[in-house]
Amino acid sequence: MEENKYLKISELNNYIKNIIDQDSFLYKVYLKGEISNFKNHTTGHLYFTLKDDTSRINAVMFAPNAALLNFVPEDGMNVLVEGRIRVYAPQGSYQIYVEKMTVDGLGALYIEYEKLKKKLASEGLFNPEHKKPIPKYPEKIGVITASTGAAVRDIMSTIKRRYPICQAILFPSLVQGKSAAPNIVEQIKKADSFGVDTIIVGRGGGSIEDLWAFNEEIVARAIYECQTPIISAVGHEIDWTIADFVADLRAPTPTGAAEMAVPTIIDTNNLIANYKIRLNKNIKSMINTKFITLRNFKNSFVLKNPMAIYEVKEQKYLNLMTTLKNNFLNIIGDKQRRFENLKMNYILQNPYQLIAPLQTKYDLLVNTLKLVNPLNILDKGYALVKKNNQVIKSSKELQIKDQIDIRFAHGTIKAEVQEIKKQNEKRNGVN
Amino acid sequence: MEKSFENALAELEAIVKELESGNVELDEAINKYTEAMKLAKFCSEKLNTATKKVNEILTENNELKEFDVDTEA
Repeated sequence: MEENKYLKISELNNYIKNIIDQDSFLYKVYLKGEISNFKNHTTGHLYFTLKDDTSRINAVMFAPNAALLNFVPEDGMNVLVEGRIRVYAPQGSYQIYVEKMTVDGLGALYIEYEKLKKKLASEGLFNPEHKKPIPKYPEKIGVITASTGAAVRDIMSTIKRRYPICQAILFPSLVQGKSAAPNIVEQIKKADSFGVDTIIVGRGGGSIEDLWAFNEEIVARAIYECQTPIISAVGHEIDWTIADFVADLRAPTPTGAAEMAVPTIIDTNNLIANYKIRLNKNIKSMINTKFITLRNFKNSFVLKNPMAIYEVKEQKYLNLMTTLKNNFLNIIGDKQRRFENLKMNYILQNPYQLIAPLQTKYDLLVNTLKLVNPLNILDKGYALVKKNNQVIKSSKELQIKDQIDIRFAHGTIKAEVQEIKKQNEKRNGVN
Repeated sequence: MEKSFENALAELEAIVKELESGNVELDEAINKYTEAMKLAKFCSEKLNTATKKVNEILTENNELKEFDVDTEA
């Protein structure tokens, strides 16, 4: 049958799919290329094309793998991918199912650097409060760098030149390549426990890949945990490594690190000489000041004129006496004035005024008394009868032959009762 | 134990500054001055008569060996 030669498209595509699926070389393919037509599907799957100068291939990265990316892919980005080649039968196309993807070249390192820097910064490893002060006059310095090359020569010779009384001990380390980071960590720990005043860790300049050990997390943590103050000296001025951020002090170059680590003998001698000058100047001026003060005291008026002390006291005494006298006179004068004032008082001036009302009252009383004095009645012809010196008010008190005294106004007579006549009781009377 | 150079110098500096502050009695000032002069002498001697130290390298066997940068480099 003629018609049997013709295949269904799906049959062809499935046939090709089977061939490709069975090719173990295509199970895992490493590709290097530039991203284009990048689409980030809402499902989280990434669809894009990988291309180089001459070819392109469709790529898909499923959400679970895409979630592990440490960067955000975009068009034009050079990437390294790892994945499997498979055929998508319905479309008759083959594509790479990307499992891993990283940024190619420097870009990748840069992303890693930024990520670690951010992480360590957020943990506080770069905080100023963790920076230990660098001893000014160290006696031993640990140097961690390669045992050959410009860096070690610069550091060691600078220390020797500036401050030869300081001992520099090299803890040789790899500073480049895969083993560099663990080696640097090991030497930092060794130098820390060895007992040095300051540690310099570094290397000469190089490419970002060359310096990479100093951007490794283990190195950063070793620097952070080291008890001895560390000066970092990696590369040249413009390169800041993670190690530089963690170190207690960052030097731009190895020579710079040595200069920061030790003073110069000359400067130190000058400093001591300067202290001596200041000490002498100070003590001299102090003694001089005291001397002048003493001389001023000696020349003081009082010490020159001892009598002045007496004169002052005497003057004070006289002043006091004058004051006392004045006060006394004032008091006397005051009393005198008060006495005079009292003397001028109206009552004292007119004492009769005091007794005049009494006099009037007295006169009135006397007159009243005169009026009521029984003896006054006698003047009018009445007489008072007494018996045994008792006033007799009624004839009933008398009996015949009683001896009685009869008092008149101007004399008394003795008489004898001869007769008693009854009369109205109310009318007392004697014959 | 002998005083370290760093401590001696720090002490010296402290005395200089204290005396310059002018808050010291004369008797005390003279004592401090004497002490400071001793410290200055100690520092100068330590600085100038100390034998120059050789640079060393800690070998893999954890031994210190002389390290001459000029020939090694």
